[in-house]
Formats: sequence, structure tokens, C-alpha cells
Amino acid sequence: MSRITRRSMLAAAGAAAVVSAPRRASAQAVKPRLTAISQWSAGSDGAAITALGKKFEERGGVWQHSPVPGFTTEMMNKLRAQIMAGDPPACSQLKGPEIAAWSKIAATVNLDATVAAAGYEKVVAPDLARLHKPGGKWAALPLQIYRTNTLFLSKRALDRAKADKLPTTWAEFNALGDKMKAAGIAYPVCNGGTRADDGQKFEACLAGISPTAYRAAIMNLDEKALKGPEMKAAFAQLRKLADWMDPNTAAQSYAVHLPKFVAGDMGMMIQGGWAQGVLINAGFKLDDFIIAPGPTDNGKPVFILNADAFIFWQRKEPDLQAGQKLMAELVMDPAIQTMYSQITGSIPVRTDVDLSGAGWSDGQREAARTLKEAVAVNQVVLSLAHNMAQENGMTAAMIDVLTEYVKNRSITPDQAVTRLAEAVEGAR
Amino acid sequence: MSVSTLGTPSATRLSPAILAGLKRLPEWLVIWVPLLLSAGHVVVFTAWTTWISFTPSTLVPVDGWVGLRNYTSVLGTRNWKIAFDNLLLFGFGFVVLTALVGLLLAILIDQRIRGENVLRSIFLYPMAVSFVVTGTVWSWLLNPGMGVQKLVNDMGWTSFRFDWLVDRDMAIWTIVIAGIWQSSGFAMALFLAGLRSVEADLIKAAQIDGAGPFRMYTRVILPTLWPIVVAVMVILLQFAIRTFDLVRALTGGGPGIATQLPALVIYDFMFQRGHLGRGSAAAVMMLLTLLGVLLPYGAWKYYMRRRAANA
Repeated sequence: MSRITRRSMLAAAGAAAVVSAPRRASAQAVKPRLTAISQWSAGSDGAAITALGKKFEERGGVWQHSPVPGFTTEMMNKLRAQIMAGDPPACSQLKGPEIAAWSKIAATVNLDATVAAAGYEKVVAPDLARLHKPGGKWAALPLQIYRTNTLFLSKRALDRAKADKLPTTWAEFNALGDKMKAAGIAYPVCNGGTRADDGQKFEACLAGISPTAYRAAIMNLDEKALKGPEMKAAFAQLRKLADWMDPNTAAQSYAVHLPKFVAGDMGMMIQGGWAQGVLINAGFKLDDFIIAPGPTDNGKPVFILNADAFIFWQRKEPDLQAGQKLMAELVMDPAIQTMYSQITGSIPVRTDVDLSGAGWSDGQREAARTLKEAVAVNQVVLSLAHNMAQENGMTAAMIDVLTEYVKNRSITPDQAVTRLAEAVEGAR
Repeated sequence: MSVSTLGTPSATRLSPAILAGLKRLPEWLVIWVPLLLSAGHVVVFTAWTTWISFTPSTLVPVDGWVGLRNYTSVLGTRNWKIAFDNLLLFGFGFVVLTALVGLLLAILIDQRIRGENVLRSIFLYPMAVSFVVTGTVWSWLLNPGMGVQKLVNDMGWTSFRFDWLVDRDMAIWTIVIAGIWQSSGFAMALFLAGLRSVEADLIKAAQIDGAGPFRMYTRVILPTLWPIVVAVMVILLQFAIRTFDLVRALTGGGPGIATQLPALVIYDFMFQRGHLGRGSAAAVMMLLTLLGVLLPYGAWKYYMRRRAANA
């Protein structure tokens, strides 16, 4: 009895296989597979990439993601080891100018055909697209965008200072800072003590004063621009911010101070858009704070851009190649970008995604709108503090100067300008 | 067949030697294989790092020759200068103060007090804690906004200031404090062993001569301890030179770059800035610094042994 049952089951299974086999064979010769490494293992980052993996599997792929938690350097060490062993992952997290640097040490996939088929280049900010096309060919794809010059204002601090107008220029920002200080708010500027924090403050100052000078000095390392008057003005503004910050931060993250910020003991914070997610995760409400674009002195929106991306490494295996193509298609898909950004709190890379629906916050809508407007007036610049403007070695050398300047009141803006130019020269 | 006829007599002839060899084989395997492996590990990788320091390697090691360019460029950075100045300050402060605290603890414990074992374990315990934990805990204790300063301020002494952690000039001393806390127990253990091994006759003789406790220590006991003092200092100094995790957790090299140490700069060059060549050059310079301590110590030990043998 049992024998007959088993045999009939086998027959049924065989029949099913016969029926489905030709269809599968014609649809795709191999099952797409993707080996990927990133540092995203926990929190909203981990959730977002897991969701992306689910979509990959829904499209018939095999998702093999190995997260390397901790500092980005750990992830890069693994990538380095795998490349040196001749066994790179099919795709890995990498961002900014490091894409060009690393694509020199191992062969990358040419994604031009896939990108062209999706008509993607039209909807990506040109400076961002350039980073992902080392040697003029698409080798990497951006995944999500954050604005690093987002201004967060504490509702309670504004009430205490009896201020009702949001600052749009640095002069207004400084006036509000003075007002807050006069109202008894000890630290009008909320900050962390990390290197990136100090770098981020400087880039917001310089790009707000002159995006043109930022592009020349920070992104193109033009010697004349590095010693220009805008640089000195940016350092002077940075000193104002530093004087309004809590000095007792040591190496802490800005997130440590968020309770004081919400309580109104700290007033304004210049942070990346991700701080919104951190605030909400810490249990605060959207009406505890206001999100606004960072100050800009020329009246037009300035967007300092930070983007995460995937680079695709050349593999011979047909299943991995099919997986890379599928992954590229997914990453460019507006629906996938929507899903991803809604989880992490970033904004989509595509400038044509509609953010009016549910699932987006006002802060995200505002940032996406500003990005579009800033692209139109060519005032999108790449973040120095988050390794978008220069390779890591140059970035670190420049941030050394910035972080020392923030922590040491005896350095004058003039000296800082000279030191920064020297640091750039030394790291070239 | 012929094999067995030939083999049998020779086997019997060689058997004592072979047997003896077989008997010693495990010892040889246990001692020499790991020794050769670890020596090879050290020598090969040191040589490799030295080679890379002369190549234009950036993200991955590459062949090529750039002479001393990596060395000059590392020596030219502010980071390295600050790191080396800090190493001098930290090395001196950490070694001398840790040895002093350790010696004091050892002398106090040496008074045949009750609960000696408990106290000794307490003082030695920090050695079992990783530097990252030490650094993190002290970063909270020393933070003016939440640690000791806030505690004293909240108790009523509002003008009390202890903000070395965020003071550029004093931050390096917070690392010394945490380092002393971690390592003085170790120094104490070595000193205590030394104190206990001072010959009883010597102490008796001093007592008969009427030496008080202070004179007893300064004139009789401590002079016999000095080989241990040197050993402790050398061990502590090489702790100091390779300090990495303590700083990383305590100050992160800050405020700004005020508490950089060479090991941090090396890591930074190699893995954050993507300059394997410059990082290796910095590593080689750190090795030379270590050798600068260890070689004179080795020579001194050799000299002392020769003198003891001749005497």
C-alpha cells in the first residue's frame, strides 16, 4: 500500500517536473545567485537590506549576503582579503571616490547596458552618477541618498528663545544662536565629538557660504580656492558653531545628546537625515523637532550629498552574472528604492520618485524636493565628512585639521586655512 | 624477500638509536614545530611589512620601489609628530607612575596584613579586564558631564573641575590614569615576589643594627630589588609602546588628534586611509622604537650574567 503511494507520488512529482522544466529553461538558463558583503547587519540598515534580499528571492534568485558588522574598515578588510585571494563577492558595499580607487585593483562589471535599458542616468544627480562611473563606465550603483546639511531645531529651545522664524542664512542662524544663548540655553548647537561630526559642521559652513568654492576647494582641491576668502569665512563660522557646542563630548556620538536637544537645553543640530530615524527610534515625536534645509547664503538650495552604493565585481560564473544583472535592475527600480528609503529614512536616488504618498515623512519630502531643486541650480555637492568628496586618505588628512580646529580655540581661521592647504599637499 | 633479509640486521643494529629518537619525537614535535612556526610567523611577516614599507602599496600590496618616500611622508604628518610626542609623555608617565604605585602596593601588602590574598586578587584583577573595557569605563568616569566631576559638583562643590578628558593638553594623562589602574597590580605582583625573596638573614642583620622600617626599605630591601625594577619597567614600556585599544576606547585619539599614539596612526594609515605602504613604514619605525628599548635591556642582561659568572 505504502509502496504504491510512494510510487504514485514520485510519478506526480516527475510529471510536475516535466511540465515546469521547459518553461524554466526558456525563462532563465541558470538560477541567479548573488554573493554580497556589507556592514549592514542590524537596525534599520539590516532590516532594509534583508527586505531587498527578500525581493531578490521573490524574483527567483539565491541571496547570499554576508554582513560584516562594526566599522566600515572591517568590511573593507574582508573585501581586500577576498580580492587578493581572487574571489571577490559579486557585489559589495562601497561609496564615493573609493569606487574608482578600488576598481583599479580588481575588474568590475560594465553595467552600461543594464543602466541604459532602465533609462537611469537621466534621473540621477550628475555628480553622483560620475562617482559610480570610474573610467566612464557604470561599475557601481547608488542605493540611497542622505543630506548631511539638514538643520534640526528643537521645538522647546525655539519656544524658550521666543523665536518663530527658521534661519535660512548663516547670519540668521547666528542671530538665532545668540538669541538662544541669551535665553539661557547653554549650548545652542547640539553636537557629538566624532571626527565625522566636526567635518560635517565645516562642510555645512563652506557649502552654505559658497557651493562654488566648496566644489573648487574640497571636491577639486584647487590650490587657489583652498586659500580663498570663502575658506576663511567658513572657518570663522565653524568657530562660532564650536563655541556654542557642549565641550564635554569626548568621542561620543551626537545621539548621546539627543535627550538634551529635545528638552531644549540644546538648540540646533546640523546632521544627516538619518538623525530623524535615530530621534524616532529613541522614542521622540515628530513634533519635538523641526527639520529644515541647512543655511545657504545665496538664496538657492544647497544639498550636501551622501550616498550608499554597491559595486559589482567581475565573476565568471553564469549564475553570479545573472544575479548581478538582477540586483542592478532591482537597485534602480523606483519601487525598491521607495521600500528601501522608507525603512532607513533616507531619500531615493532617483529624482523622479513621488514622495507624496504614505510612508514618507515631511523631512524626507523636503529633502527630496531640495535635492531636485539643487540639481536644477547645480548646487549639489559631495560630502567630505562622509567620504564622498575625496578618497579616504585625503579625507582623513583634511578632517585631522578640521577636528583639531574645532577642539582648539587658539587656532585662528587664517592658520586653519594654511594648515588645511598643507594637509592637502601632504596627502596628495 | 630480499628486503626483509637485508632489513632485519640493520634494524636490530639501529634499534637503540631509533627507539631513543622515537621516544624523544613527541618532545621535539611539541617544542620545535610551534617554535619554528611562530618564529617564522614573526620573521616572515616582519620582513614582509618592511618590504611593503618601501613599495608604493596603497589599498593592496604591490611590488615596486619608492625608497624612503613612505617614511618621509609619515614623518611629515602632524599626526605622527603628535603621536610620538605623546608616546614620550605617556611612556614616561605610565611606566614610572605604574611602577611607583605597584611598588607602594607591594610594600603595603608585604606588612603581613590580614586578607592579603583578597587584596592581592583585587589589585591584580584589572589585568584580567580587556583594555577596551577599561577604556570605556574610564571614559564615563572621566567625562566631566557624567563622571567624577558631575558627582562632586552635585554634592555641592560646584566649582570643582576635573575635565582632563576634554582638555587637549591634559587628555593624554587620562590614558596614563587608566593605564595605571590596569597595570599597577601586575607591577605589584612582581615586586611582591621580589620583596618576599629577600633573604631573611639580611633583614635580621638590619634589625639587629637598629634600622627602622623606612631605612630598612630604602637601604636594605629596595637595593636588592632593582633587577626586578628594571624588568618591570621594560615590560611596562613595551606595553606603553603598543598601546592601542585603551586610547581607542577612552578618547578615540581626541580631543581633535591630541591623544594619538603610534599604534593608532599605523592602523589609521593602513586600514582607514588605504595607505599600506605608509602604514608599514610607520609600523617599522615603531618596531625600531621597541628594539631601542629591548636591545639595550638584552645587552644589559647579558652583561650582568657574564659578570655573575665571572665573579
